[in-house]
Amino acid sequence: MKIFKFFVTQIFLRKAILGIGMILLLCMANYITFTAARSILSTFQGYQETNYINQEGVYIANLDPDSPMDMGFISESGTQAVYDYLNSNFDYAFYTDGFIVSIPNPDGMEISLGYMNEGYYNLKQFELSQGTDLDFNYQFDREIPVLIGKGLSKTYPVGSTIKMEESVLGRPITLKVQGVLKQNAYRSNYYALNSKTYYNFSILVPVNEEFLNHAAIDLTLNGLMDVAILGTTKEETADLGKVINDNLGLEFNFLSQQDNYDYFKEYYLHALKMICIITFVLLIVITCLSIWNAFVSVRSMLKDFTINLLVGLSDSKLKQIFYGYFGILSFLNLTAVFIITAFNRYGCWLRKDATFATYGLFGLIGMDWLAFLLVAASDILMGVIVVESMLWKIKKIPISLGVLQ
Amino acid sequence: MKKSLFRPTDILELSIAYIFCFFLNLLFDYGKTLDLDSYLLEAFLKNYMDYRTLIVLVFTSIAIVFHYQMLRRKKEEIFCRILVGATVFHITIRYIQDCLRILIPVYFLSVLANFYMNFNLASNFYLVLILITYILISARQVRKYENF
Amino acid sequence: MTRIIDLRVKEKIYKSKKTRLSILNDFSLQVAAGEKIAIVGESGAGKSSLLNIIGLIDRNYHGEYALLGSLTNDLHASKLAQWRNQKIGFVLQESALINSLTIEDNIKLPFLYAEKKTFQPEDFESVISAIGLKPILKKKPLECSGGEKARAVFARGIIMKPQIILADEPTASLDMENRERIVSLLFKMNKEFNTTVITVTHDLEIANRHDRVIQLERSK
Repeated sequence: MKIFKFFVTQIFLRKAILGIGMILLLCMANYITFTAARSILSTFQGYQETNYINQEGVYIANLDPDSPMDMGFISESGTQAVYDYLNSNFDYAFYTDGFIVSIPNPDGMEISLGYMNEGYYNLKQFELSQGTDLDFNYQFDREIPVLIGKGLSKTYPVGSTIKMEESVLGRPITLKVQGVLKQNAYRSNYYALNSKTYYNFSILVPVNEEFLNHAAIDLTLNGLMDVAILGTTKEETADLGKVINDNLGLEFNFLSQQDNYDYFKEYYLHALKMICIITFVLLIVITCLSIWNAFVSVRSMLKDFTINLLVGLSDSKLKQIFYGYFGILSFLNLTAVFIITAFNRYGCWLRKDATFATYGLFGLIGMDWLAFLLVAASDILMGVIVVESMLWKIKKIPISLGVLQ
Repeated sequence: MKKSLFRPTDILELSIAYIFCFFLNLLFDYGKTLDLDSYLLEAFLKNYMDYRTLIVLVFTSIAIVFHYQMLRRKKEEIFCRILVGATVFHITIRYIQDCLRILIPVYFLSVLANFYMNFNLASNFYLVLILITYILISARQVRKYENF
Repeated sequence: MTRIIDLRVKEKIYKSKKTRLSILNDFSLQVAAGEKIAIVGESGAGKSSLLNIIGLIDRNYHGEYALLGSLTNDLHASKLAQWRNQKIGFVLQESALINSLTIEDNIKLPFLYAEKKTFQPEDFESVISAIGLKPILKKKPLECSGGEKARAVFARGIIMKPQIILADEPTASLDMENRERIVSLLFKMNKEFNTTVITVTHDLEIANRHDRVIQLERSK
């Protein structure tokens, strides 16, 4: 340890610029690896999560990008006609969210309301930490059973009621907490797999036919955008598309399981490949720059190294010192990445961003830790390459020459 | 070149460092023009585009490292030149000139690339100012080797 | 007398992109404990290379080398480092000091690698007093004169009380007074502690003051 301390304080820190250069390069390598790892992991999680709905016989509605959008043409009666057709001809999974309400909670978060029907609830299989499953056959004008996120569970324990003015029904309603979702429960967007909405400060409201019949057009129209038709065929969805077009003037596509696979393959697989290639190339460039920086360091400190070798420092100890030093630089960087990530996560709490607020050790979630692991692995790989290059360079120069540099 | 502190390998190293910095800047300009149909790729690249200046700045550290280590290596040479009649002032000016002689062509090359690719011609000017600042700061180091 | 060094070199090769130089062809050297040996010869004859081999810092040669009765060729690198620290003292030119350390820290450097706690303040004091380094201990090498630096290098070479001192042109850039001072310190070590001294030098006057002079020839 004293040899290591001597090298750090008396040799490496005396030429701090070289160390700082290495820290900055490592910092870039860590940032690149971390962002790539998180993008890939998040997409993978999204893909896995979407699999619950992307099943055979399920067609997911998607507004055609070229569809005309005439809000004047869209009416409540038109929407109602579509839902009447849906209810009489199909089983479907309905989900929509983003309706914000203010109810008292210790973190002062704006609460997001999510609405889902039984079809969606059965497919999604929510994991609960407390309470029991939802009942969709509730009395519409009495208490509505709901699921809440972990962030609300202390203020509103299972069995308690929440009274609020709700915009979708346009009247005061009473919600009864039926269950609490597991912490960090989330939903991925079907067609933006890497983006997520966390449910820690959400209330999930079950909707049934009666609810939909009384709901404002915002909810019904929004819900239609992502509606998934269950156990159907291409022809049947084509008929539905025609009904939607006739009543709302909108062009809808209905994507089958195969369509979705093809879409994922075309867009996500290609994008993931590109991310991997970009990351790999950048890491190679940074590794080359790090090796150059290491050679420059050897050139500047050669005399110091070789005099120590002359008076008794062994090659293996020098190797340990280099690995230790690189370990410290890498640790400093990992700490920085960790602080920035934790601060980013904490920032969601500060900004009262309810859909991104997450729970975890220092606010970090599993995906962050996994990305850290990958960053640490890339640091180890880079460390081995840089340190071994330095040792190779030192060994190439005879000690007697180095001493008299 | 006789009076220069630069040897061919030094010129090559510094040129590569400068080219790398300008190339990175060009890459960001190119990234901005990409019309990506992938939301995922766009979100990923946004992580870089949002911190473009900071990332380029971090990578310019290789130029700092180059100046620092080169002048350290040349301290005997600086001392010897002073011994045989050169002055610190002249060596410093010569050093600045040599660095600029490498920087300016690389800059014009990058302007040409920007022109060819229809990018904003002034987008890399900030980089020139940063790199000149490094040259001027490092030139002060010459004075340190006046007395060996 | 105990044989302390038994070296048989078949060949030592230096290779570069264009040239291949073979030196120390069929060279052998046996040294007894307490002997003073000078190695002379023209530049490029392999004097310093020989010293590097004896000093266990160069193992890239064809041959066999027994030091203190043990064959060194198969020894682990960390064992060689330990021997360099404990049994061999290197006295080099005055520039062989770490400029960022004080003279005191430079001299104490071998203690950093000693396996046991060998540092004895009184021993250190006696070496420093004998060599006359006390006034410059806190100075950095760049603040010292050539003679002072040469004495500091010498002090570092003998601080661990080695059995063998290898001196490579220790007086090359010194004035007469400092030259004499270093040489007498070397011989004093030899006399008082029976230390084996091997000196590489161009100075024939110094060489002739050793027990034996070995002349190295440049390869044809």
